[in-house]
Amino acid sequence: MLRTAVIAFALALCTTLAATAAGGGRAASSVTGPAQIGISGQQVSYTRVDVGKKNASPGDTEIIGYRLYNRRVTSKAIGHADLICTFANGRSRVCRGTYFLPKGRLVVGGSISYRQLYELAVLGGTGLYDNARGTMTATRINRKPRREFLLFRLVG
Amino acid sequence: MNESEGALVSTAAADSEQKRSRRRWKPFPLAARLLLASCVLAALVAGVFVLLLLAISTLRDATDREAHAKDVVTSAVTTEKLVLDLETGLRGLQLGGNRQFLQPALRSKAEVPRRLSELEQEVVDDPTQLRRARQLHRSVSDYIELYFDLIIDIARDSPEAARTDVALAEGRRRIDGIQDQFASFVAAEDAQAARSAQTASDRADLAIALGVLGLVLSAALIITFGAYLARSIARPVRGVAQGATRLAAGEFSLRLGEGGPGEIGELTRAFNSMAGELEQGQRELREQNRRLQKSERAKSELVSIVSHEVRTPLASVLGFTSLLLHRDTDDETRRRYLEIVDAQGRRLNALLDDFLDVQRLEEGRLQLSSELVDMAALLQEQVQLFEAQSELHRLELEVNGEPLDVRGDPNRLAQVVGNLLSNAIKYSPEGGTVEVLGRPSNGSVRVSVRDHGLGIPADQHDRIFTKFFRGDAATSGIAGSGLGLAFARAVIEAHGGRMGFESTSGGGSTFFLELPRAGA
Repeated sequence: MLRTAVIAFALALCTTLAATAAGGGRAASSVTGPAQIGISGQQVSYTRVDVGKKNASPGDTEIIGYRLYNRRVTSKAIGHADLICTFANGRSRVCRGTYFLPKGRLVVGGSISYRQLYELAVLGGTGLYDNARGTMTATRINRKPRREFLLFRLVG
Repeated sequence: MNESEGALVSTAAADSEQKRSRRRWKPFPLAARLLLASCVLAALVAGVFVLLLLAISTLRDATDREAHAKDVVTSAVTTEKLVLDLETGLRGLQLGGNRQFLQPALRSKAEVPRRLSELEQEVVDDPTQLRRARQLHRSVSDYIELYFDLIIDIARDSPEAARTDVALAEGRRRIDGIQDQFASFVAAEDAQAARSAQTASDRADLAIALGVLGLVLSAALIITFGAYLARSIARPVRGVAQGATRLAAGEFSLRLGEGGPGEIGELTRAFNSMAGELEQGQRELREQNRRLQKSERAKSELVSIVSHEVRTPLASVLGFTSLLLHRDTDDETRRRYLEIVDAQGRRLNALLDDFLDVQRLEEGRLQLSSELVDMAALLQEQVQLFEAQSELHRLELEVNGEPLDVRGDPNRLAQVVGNLLSNAIKYSPEGGTVEVLGRPSNGSVRVSVRDHGLGIPADQHDRIFTKFFRGDAATSGIAGSGLGLAFARAVIEAHGGRMGFESTSGGGSTFFLELPRAGA
């Protein structure tokens, strides 16, 4: 009787540990389900490649570098981001960027008219954000130094 | 048989049951039982009141919770309206570009954080709602900090940027999220209010049910208590009252059933005891009355007898005295007359002496000496004395020569033996043998005198030692006072002995006496 109970307990323990390990692995490999990530990005570099007419004209390119923070957790930077935008016409530019976060990368892309508040699609990701989808909304929160609040709304 | 009569019936079975009941109830007197019943009633009423108070208290708590939930909902709705004011004002700025639209929103912005904090305080006792309220607070703060303020700032230098679809959609999305949270919060609070209302309703129903149940129970207990009082107190008391009335009417044999609790049982027992005493008293009074009547008759008889007994010698005395006074008589005749007067006078004197002796003996005033008396010698002497008085009778004495010593008054004992011998002679008028026997008997000296004369009819046996009773002797012309046997028995009993007789009518009589033997 006692022997049977010990064996059953050992089996249950092994099953629990295996399930925990598998779950942890999945958690480490990708995010499942909707999630929101709110961080801030401080612009650390801005390069504009002006082609064609002076000022904004189709073909001009902006290359922007960010340092990413999550000030609710730490005052230190948690990652960085690169955003490259190519002006299409007038204010509208087509952008693509990569946000390097501690547990993976998120790739965004889309069209921006005003940099004060824009929304880009989350096209995918790596690491924890493998195969992620959703949107990223950026809202300027400071001019100098330029800082933006970045809200990733992930759906999968 | 009516109810009261039924209560008065006492049978052996009922008595037995009553005794058992008395034993069973004795430790609980009526006062204790009334007190106990009152305590039980009070406890029940108090219990009902406590339950009612608990139910009412719970009802009040539920009502308070319901009211509180409604207050929270009102507060949430008000706060939501303020948030919507923010959104409306901001949208006005975004779409219209006029900062005037912002004024109400800015007032709301100043008020919203305080309202949200108050909302948190209002649900601080409900962890789930508190979590929702804090989430709301964060969402609204984020909205203000990360959208509202930023859009105002953006709109300041780029109104076009602030009114883009992206900006409007972001605001709409955030507000929708906040509204969803408010809706969830309010729904939860409404559910809580509904539950509280349902609880309040249930408690109210319970309170009403308990109240009705308590009232019914209390009423039932009061009725039971009243019935108990009526059955255990009023009815027995009414029975006692009726019994007292019947007792007062002279029904002294009446007894009440002694059942009943405590003091009621004591009351009925006391009543029965009183009735018993009264009955006994009445019996004694009747007996005393009977004795008085008998005494009165005896007194009348005594007067009659004494008058008769005195009259005869007195008439002789008066007659011969008159002859002596009014006639000239010779000396011999005068002497004979005087001897008759003397004899009758002595007879009168003896009669009075006998009477006084009996009276003294009965009253214990007769002085008896205590000497050693040889009854054999005494019998010898008395037999010789009486043998000489009658020629028709022959007295035979048998004492076997044994000494028959007793302790007593020799004169009175001689008087007793003389009375027995005299009676034996008088009541055997035809003459014959009178047998006198003296012998020891079981520590006593027994003396018997037997004649073969008239005997005593059986219907007179029980009165033969009564004073002045002479049976048929008076009509038979046998002289006597009727005091002899009464005197004899009184003397013998005064000596610690006893006296009796055996007789049949026409078969003679045997009178005997037994005296304690001296030194036995």
